[in-house]
Amino acid sequence: MSYRNSAIHQFNIYFFNSAFHMQQLTHILGCILLFLVSSPVVAQNDCSYELSGYVLDAHNKKPLPNSKVHIRELDITVTANSKGFYSIPGMCKGEYLVFCKHIGCDAIKDTIELTQSTVLNFYPEHHLEIGPVEVEANKDADLTQKPERMSERELNESRGLSLGEGLSKINGVSQLSAGNNISKPVIHGMHSNRILILNNGVRQEGQQWGNEHAPEIDPFIAGDLAVIKGANSVRYGPDAIAGVILVNPKELKKTPGISGELNLVGLSNGQQGNVSATVDGNLSKLPALRWRAQGTLKRGGNVHAPDYFLKNTGIFEYNFSGAVGWFKPNYGIDVFYSQFNTEIGVFSASHFGNLTDLQTAFEAERPLEEADFTYAINRPRQEIEHELFKAQGYLFTGDKGKLTFTYARQFNRRREFDKDVPLNDSLAALNLPALSFNLTTHTGEIAWQHNRVNNFKGSIGVSGIHQGNTYRGRFFIPNFRKLGGGVYWIEQWKPKGSKLALEAGARFDYIYQRIYMWVDEEIYSPEQHFMNGNGSFGASYAFNKKFSVRGNVGTAWRPPNVAELYSDGLHHGAAGIEIGNSALKTEQALNFTASLEYDSDRLRFLVDGYYNIVNNFIYLRPTLETLLTIKGAYPVFAYSQANAHLRGTDITVGYELTDNWNFTSKASILRAWNFSQNDHLIWMPADRFENSVEYRFNKNSKLTNAFISMTVVTVLEQTRVPENTDFAPPPEGYTILNASMGMDIPVKNQLITVGLTANNLLNARYRDYMNRFRYFTDVMGTNIALRVKVPFELVKAKSIHEIHN
Amino acid sequence: MKTQVKAIAVLGLALVAGLSSCKKDEDLVPTPPPTENEGEVITTMTLTFVDDAGVQPTVTATFRDPDGEGGLAPDIFDTIRLQNNTVYNCSITLTNETLTPAEDITAEVLAEAVDHIFCFSPSGADVSIVRTDSDGTFEIGIESQWTAGAAGNGTTTVSLKHQPGTKDGTCVPGETDIEVNFVTEVQ
Repeated sequence: MSYRNSAIHQFNIYFFNSAFHMQQLTHILGCILLFLVSSPVVAQNDCSYELSGYVLDAHNKKPLPNSKVHIRELDITVTANSKGFYSIPGMCKGEYLVFCKHIGCDAIKDTIELTQSTVLNFYPEHHLEIGPVEVEANKDADLTQKPERMSERELNESRGLSLGEGLSKINGVSQLSAGNNISKPVIHGMHSNRILILNNGVRQEGQQWGNEHAPEIDPFIAGDLAVIKGANSVRYGPDAIAGVILVNPKELKKTPGISGELNLVGLSNGQQGNVSATVDGNLSKLPALRWRAQGTLKRGGNVHAPDYFLKNTGIFEYNFSGAVGWFKPNYGIDVFYSQFNTEIGVFSASHFGNLTDLQTAFEAERPLEEADFTYAINRPRQEIEHELFKAQGYLFTGDKGKLTFTYARQFNRRREFDKDVPLNDSLAALNLPALSFNLTTHTGEIAWQHNRVNNFKGSIGVSGIHQGNTYRGRFFIPNFRKLGGGVYWIEQWKPKGSKLALEAGARFDYIYQRIYMWVDEEIYSPEQHFMNGNGSFGASYAFNKKFSVRGNVGTAWRPPNVAELYSDGLHHGAAGIEIGNSALKTEQALNFTASLEYDSDRLRFLVDGYYNIVNNFIYLRPTLETLLTIKGAYPVFAYSQANAHLRGTDITVGYELTDNWNFTSKASILRAWNFSQNDHLIWMPADRFENSVEYRFNKNSKLTNAFISMTVVTVLEQTRVPENTDFAPPPEGYTILNASMGMDIPVKNQLITVGLTANNLLNARYRDYMNRFRYFTDVMGTNIALRVKVPFELVKAKSIHEIHN
Repeated sequence: MKTQVKAIAVLGLALVAGLSSCKKDEDLVPTPPPTENEGEVITTMTLTFVDDAGVQPTVTATFRDPDGEGGLAPDIFDTIRLQNNTVYNCSITLTNETLTPAEDITAEVLAEAVDHIFCFSPSGADVSIVRTDSDGTFEIGIESQWTAGAAGNGTTTVSLKHQPGTKDGTCVPGETDIEVNFVTEVQ
């Protein structure tokens, strides 16, 4: 259909409408003019159709007022008036999936192809029972392991920080760090291969086994960051022993036009700057086509502790991503590509030659090497590149469910440069990394989610992985190839209106792995097979809208990683000889979680309790022997297995004293025990408490969401450590003060978000047990951050939202 | 319809672009075996003592760990046996025996003499040690003079410090490349 015809058609509709007046006439004339000059921006005319109609009882044809009509593509919901009439003006040409829901009725679904203003009546079957309107129900509410999501403000305040640092705002999540640039998230005391990170729905596959290897993800991509605490291998596969981290971008733009967001972040400590921009588009001519381009640039120099600069602690990062999707009511496909590139300086004084040097460094008041401020990054340093390509498609299988296909390819290159270049001049001139790993991973998944049938809804799926690793330089882990596959089935039972929901699932995985190692100039290539069955069962009960309880019993597993199996030699960063064990068995967890959630106008609390029994827990056991080398004697650690218990609680309590004043307290407590050795587990986070007070300003014409808050963070000394296994005793506990303020400023229909935060406001001098550089230096001092978020609109298309506003 | 074709073309293009921009999968078994490009393993340190007066026989003491740090324990770890009341000129040689032929690391240390210093700390045995060579400003210690006094037993720690840009003639700055504690007997 040509544009001219559609315009005339529209004209006719308006002409015969009694509500015809001057404004519309000029509007229509304007549209026609636009077509005649055939301007490229024709969005406005394409988006002036109206979808309207009546919602009437199927039996007596009486109007059903307050019915909800929802359009999925536009994510909008309107309410029918007292005559059962609804109207959605300003709609664009295209295919839409429309839902109609009336209290006590089953939802009606209809697909329409909108090429003109259309009347669509709905005739719901009216039942007598009354239930809550659930057009867009909270999809997490019934889950027995509810993800804890970072709030919009927490997300804003984590901009410019690393992923690990940002996630530590969630109670129960802490970080294992190596200085200021390397931070690994820790859930309930576990990290690395015991945590699964799903980046945009894809298992993140880097060199997670390393304690100095941080996740290779640009936090600016995330529009939603959530953590599922507790074992969860049934849905997500191996490694999800302590929990799962979900990093999801925002959905692609559903409304026509081109818009975006610019984020600017400056941090005082390290004089770090971040620029990140996202541009989102949706063509009004082709509402099914949606795209996004995103990029981030980050640069920081040497940070300073209260008394000195830390030499070589700069960072340089550039990341970008793009996505294109084609979404129709019944099917959709999207393609995503992202690249993460970082260059990280490793604190010079953390590098030591032997145990004598380590002892000297630990006994020194100040780091043995100091420097002034510079952005230059020298040796030792890490360079990491991570690429993700993903293609995903979905298909609605009638009314019954939805089929999703995902394929992803990841490439991870990690290069570590030692502090010193080789003595040999010709080798030195090559400036090669001391070690480098290339890891390529292909993953695929097919999942079918079915809609509610006889109170059951669920999903069933298969997934597969292929992975290859190669290394150059110093041996640390061998080359290997890994093939794996899994099948799972999860069902949830919840009758309509029931307060109780039950969930159960099962999964089976198989992993084949082949190692390629050179031993005495001969290739040695053992094969390994790992397989495991998993199950989970959980229940949630909502006493009322405010108060709910959840409980879950789940299992998880992970095969030993190649470092645990085959490492053999001096670990320079850990001052020990580490010996792998190729006979290690799979690690298996049985995890009990329970949580109480209460959310009223004034008081809210969330109490999580967990008990994680990990059998065959793999850890580095000190053999109490030393091995003599030309650099002196080093302690020998052997990878061993034990039965470990990790139990604890995370408590959050919030109280609104008035509409302006809010108090929040958080506590996170963990006890971890090695049953086989009858001793504590090493490197477990100490008890942590957070108390904050917030004042929210009343909304006025110039400012909204303005607040100011102060938080006191107290971390106790970790006294529960195994004896004779560490080079130095744990540092003392500490208390630091953080402050934050923020506001939204309306500028031309957009809200510019401005935030100012200060970490360690009083410049306290402290060391943290979970920081691997605690032997050498204090943690960085005061860090003040200014963050500005500016939404913008490049091409404006008239959309429903604006008409409604 | 035309726009739909375009859209599909864009998607297809994105798919192809995405796939082709990815790095190629690597062959897992590189032949020949991966070379240790970092390769700076010092496996062997030998101290050769020559009597300054030319009377006593020459003495050598070696520390050798053929597979480098970790793995197997050292296979040679000699005791330094010196005659009492004798002045020896000591020279140190460092080699990397993981390569064939063995690589002489001493020459490389000498080439970077401004960044290196050998340190000697005797304990128990009556030995006094002074470095006798120089990088032009500070001593190096590849060559040294050991004066053995009265008979007795003890130990001597021989260490090599790497002090890029920080060498000040003392043993305080820098990282330790070598630290071997020889049993020392003055007979």
